[in-house]
Amino acid sequence: MIERLGRWLDERTGYRRIRRALLEEPLPPGTGWAFTFGSILLALLLVQTLTGAFLTVYYAPTPDHAYDSVRFIIATTAGRVVRGLHYFGASFLIVFTVIHMMRVIVFGSYKAPREITWLSGLALLGLMLAFALTGYLLPWDQRAYWATVVTINISRLVPIAGDTSAALLQGGTSLGALTLTRWYALHVIFLPALLVALVVVHLALMRRPGISGPIRARAGAALPFYPFHAARDAAAIALVLLGLAALAWRGAPALDAPADPADATYVPRPEWYFLALFQLLKYFPGRLEILGAILLPALAGLALALLPWIDRGPGREPRRRLAVLSAVVAGLIAVVALTVLGWRDRPAGAAPRDGWSLLEIGGRAFVQSADCARCHADTGLADPLDRIGGARGVEWIEGHIADPEMIAPGLRDPPAPVREREAAAILAYVRRLSRESYPGHARRTRMAAAVYARHCVGCHVIDGEGGSDGPDLSSIGRTHDRPTLRRWIADPESVDPDAEMPSFARRLSAAELDAIASYLADRK
Amino acid sequence: MRTSLHAPVSPARRRVLSLFVNGVIAVTGGALSVLLGVFAARPSSTAAGGRWFRAGPVTDLVPGVPVPRVVSVPAADGWYRARGRATVFLVWEGGRDVRAFSSTCTHLGCQVHWDAEATRFICPCHGGVYAADGRVLEGPPPRPLATVRARVDDSGNTVLVQL
Repeated sequence: MIERLGRWLDERTGYRRIRRALLEEPLPPGTGWAFTFGSILLALLLVQTLTGAFLTVYYAPTPDHAYDSVRFIIATTAGRVVRGLHYFGASFLIVFTVIHMMRVIVFGSYKAPREITWLSGLALLGLMLAFALTGYLLPWDQRAYWATVVTINISRLVPIAGDTSAALLQGGTSLGALTLTRWYALHVIFLPALLVALVVVHLALMRRPGISGPIRARAGAALPFYPFHAARDAAAIALVLLGLAALAWRGAPALDAPADPADATYVPRPEWYFLALFQLLKYFPGRLEILGAILLPALAGLALALLPWIDRGPGREPRRRLAVLSAVVAGLIAVVALTVLGWRDRPAGAAPRDGWSLLEIGGRAFVQSADCARCHADTGLADPLDRIGGARGVEWIEGHIADPEMIAPGLRDPPAPVREREAAAILAYVRRLSRESYPGHARRTRMAAAVYARHCVGCHVIDGEGGSDGPDLSSIGRTHDRPTLRRWIADPESVDPDAEMPSFARRLSAAELDAIASYLADRK
Repeated sequence: MRTSLHAPVSPARRRVLSLFVNGVIAVTGGALSVLLGVFAARPSSTAAGGRWFRAGPVTDLVPGVPVPRVVSVPAADGWYRARGRATVFLVWEGGRDVRAFSSTCTHLGCQVHWDAEATRFICPCHGGVYAADGRVLEGPPPRPLATVRARVDDSGNTVLVQL
């Protein structure tokens, strides 16, 4: 029955000939596990395509909604796993592309007549990196935003076409809505179209002369790809996908805070596969930057592209190609070393992300004094604060609190006006609250936090947040005791006649002075 | 797994290997399909649903007479926050005894209004008529007006409805 249906279908479509052509490719004897990486990459690409296509079901590429839509995606287990597969799948693709390349280099598989296959493979590597770069912006969190700022600025260094390429990448006058839709279009339409074309070309070129096979040709009959080598491929793919699933099970790393162009304290770091480039930049300061950012990577790419013509001899034996192989290995070691250095070189100024910052705690005090919970409650007009997420900026919050009727129709009497600093603290609190519930702090800490967020943050840094006109107060308690600090804050000139800091004796209550002085004295 | 490439291949070996390859494809494909299916079919109601909203002060109500109230409801449409307006009729029977009806006709979804003279809910579209307790009196509506859970809050001043 099935046989008859198959014959009927074959007479009309000729599918059996296509299947034979695809599956029964004769492989040279000795084709072993080293030749499974291409198939692994194909399987990973398929996973990326499928998970990516399904992520677009929920994703919204606008600055107002991108972050919220990604948060919505990862709110369910299935969504977390799908995004996890897509996130770690990108890393897997990069890793296995490099392994695949190394296999080709060690086996000398790029040699004639396979030079064009090699070049199409290199183009695919470039495409992979372009995918990684464009996909990175889409969650629209701080990490995504600031990494993209850096990317666009690097593209400015390109000689002659620098400004044009940056303008093309950015779309609008600043990194914003036009950038996001542009990168989204690249990531889901243009690059995938190119990818399909290049993969087809790469596979067709691979099939034309057949695969290169083991380094030393062996005697024996060729075996068809299916099911003999296909079984090796299937086992390798199953293993890799299991590893990917294990990583993805717990989801991609948590989202950072929503993108905030006004945040001057954020220290951007790229994804690990760009760390080598990131680290390279540090060795070429100032006008030499173009060397590290453009010239060296371009030269490395060129050298790779020219490999089949540099390594021209007919032999594929690695022992006879030591010069080429050691150069490639040296390059690989350099990239790995730069990546490790970049990994370890974490910025010192970054705020510790475990404890609640003073700004966040202070924001809670303002939320209470502004009576936000009157509307932002379970029975209220508006969403409870922990569900808002804080995708809006400080200006929006200021406007919202100044005239809620404008932004949230239905609220008749506006609460007490809130100043910019308080709005910033409220924003910090709401954003933190969207990730974890408030752990509770001592009354004194809350009072000190409110004082800090309202008065001190303009000039003083604590844990990486705040202005830099005054000294960093993160460990002020090591050098100053409580009474001195209290006197200093109340009347700086009574301690140091040259002090530039204004007196706070009248602006703070005695309890507030006590709270901030003891809080600071405890910072050691 | 060791595949000898020189020895002639037995059909049994070929069968086992085919089975393995097809099995891996079926299992991974199946797992991925289930995952993506569950992901795409995610139920639309995730948050909101069943929150209590203020519908107005008790002093606005007259015992036994349905009073329309527009309630501003922040609707969570997935990641999108919209603000919807829903009309409910509050029927206060004095004290803490309050009921509420949806204003949506159960026939085709038009908005009914309260005819104070006839003491009935009238649907302007196809002549549906409901009694003050929501029962269908005339016309095409298949069901009584939907009731909305309502209560007077702890202070005794405000009516809350659950939407």
